[in-house]
Amino acid sequence: MPAKKEVCNAEGVDAAVHKVADGIISEFLDCPTREFAIIGIHQQGVPLAKRLISIIESKTGYSPELALLDISMYRDDIGVRQNLPQINETLIPFDVNDKVVILVDDVLSSGRTIRAALDALTDYGRPGLIRLAVLVNRGNHEFPIGADYTGMTLAVPVERKVAVEFVESDGQDRVCIIDWKKRSSQEDN
Amino acid sequence: MGKFNWTKKDLLSIYDLSAEEISFILDTAEEFKKVSQRNVKKVPALRGKTVVNFFVEPSTRTRMSFELAEQRLSADIINISASSSSLKKGETLLDTIRNIEALQADLIVMRHSAAGAHAMLADKISCGILNAGDGAHSHPTQALLDMFTIREKKGSIKGLKVAIVGDILHSRVARSDAWGLLKLGAEVRLAGPSTLVPREFEAMGVKVYHNLKEAVEGADVVNLLRIQHERQQAGFFPSTGEYAKFFGLNEETEKYLKPDALIMHPGPINRGIELASSLADGPRSVILEQVTNGLAVRMAILFLVAGCVKK
Repeated sequence: MPAKKEVCNAEGVDAAVHKVADGIISEFLDCPTREFAIIGIHQQGVPLAKRLISIIESKTGYSPELALLDISMYRDDIGVRQNLPQINETLIPFDVNDKVVILVDDVLSSGRTIRAALDALTDYGRPGLIRLAVLVNRGNHEFPIGADYTGMTLAVPVERKVAVEFVESDGQDRVCIIDWKKRSSQEDN
Repeated sequence: MGKFNWTKKDLLSIYDLSAEEISFILDTAEEFKKVSQRNVKKVPALRGKTVVNFFVEPSTRTRMSFELAEQRLSADIINISASSSSLKKGETLLDTIRNIEALQADLIVMRHSAAGAHAMLADKISCGILNAGDGAHSHPTQALLDMFTIREKKGSIKGLKVAIVGDILHSRVARSDAWGLLKLGAEVRLAGPSTLVPREFEAMGVKVYHNLKEAVEGADVVNLLRIQHERQQAGFFPSTGEYAKFFGLNEETEKYLKPDALIMHPGPINRGIELASSLADGPRSVILEQVTNGLAVRMAILFLVAGCVKK
């Protein structure tokens, strides 16, 4: 197994999710109020998107619509990656034309996932405004893409991976840093 | 969708796939089906990849479906048919394929009259090979689209009774369907005249019937195969009229099916021979949905194998 180190516990994750939600609320739900939808990018953007909706609803009474987006068909590394991405359900239950949407992902790193998400989303129509919300901004950006709402910022060397875990998918809330160099030879296949 | 990692660069036959792999392709195809329902019916998944459609044996619908699938994945496409290839000039199949590979093609979709042609080539080249039909052996994408259609309509394939009726002996569709359906837990019944459905098929684990009513009794799905006129000339059955009388599905024999049964046909249909016109156009028919699903399934498998071709 690769060496995995917890850098943020459940309390820290909760505070970061609230920070993102508060940023969205102050932009769209203070005066003047504007309707918007939240789009979770698979995998970990989806549980994060659901939490944001629940926090926004409990704080303001407004419940943004949820959409799910899978970007596998829009990746720029098909045939380059060691493992083929698994395709999850894309579900956009509204017309994206002229819509205000907030893309949600767990980690902003190279920016390639977001580039793919923008391409995917614009194939469904022409959104009026797109914002980006992430739980962790870890630096090492390779594309000119930044987040509009960030839960926490971590400076992590490029060879390490930031993994966000949620109770829904992993049994606990935490942020870990994974050192791939220290992984066992069995996993190199 | 459970965690699964696709690792094959080729699609050679259904027999080579595990139940898990088949289910994974079908799951993947569900998302690709949605792409064709959007306004923008195209994704960039295979952008920059070159796909060669090499049809040594003629094909209209499979080739059209593969071509459209490739276009919807943004691949670059070259089409070669037997008449325009150097096979006519005496080049071996392997040399032709190596020439295609030398043009930096990524995937080759091939139809060939010789069973096993794809398997012979697959480990000799780095391109991915997709079998679009090899002799009477295999037609994996047809089986995948049939299974996709059944699963979509019935929710699951396990435990279903599926009758495949017609010229089983010469049919790659029947063999591929039977292997796939057996792997996913269906009860498979093969039916037709004894000359075209020998008892030897029972070794696969299927049931063989020489009486249509018995074969379709209580069936959840009936898949009719096209009866080729040349088989009659070769003496496998006395006349197409007699075939239609004994093995054609019509309003009389339809009564033996389950009320919610599906009627399938890989096309092209000989109306009034293996299938009555009223049934081909009736409420139980999913024949045109099979065509729609074929596109989704081919997009899925092209996407999956392309991800495993290492250059």
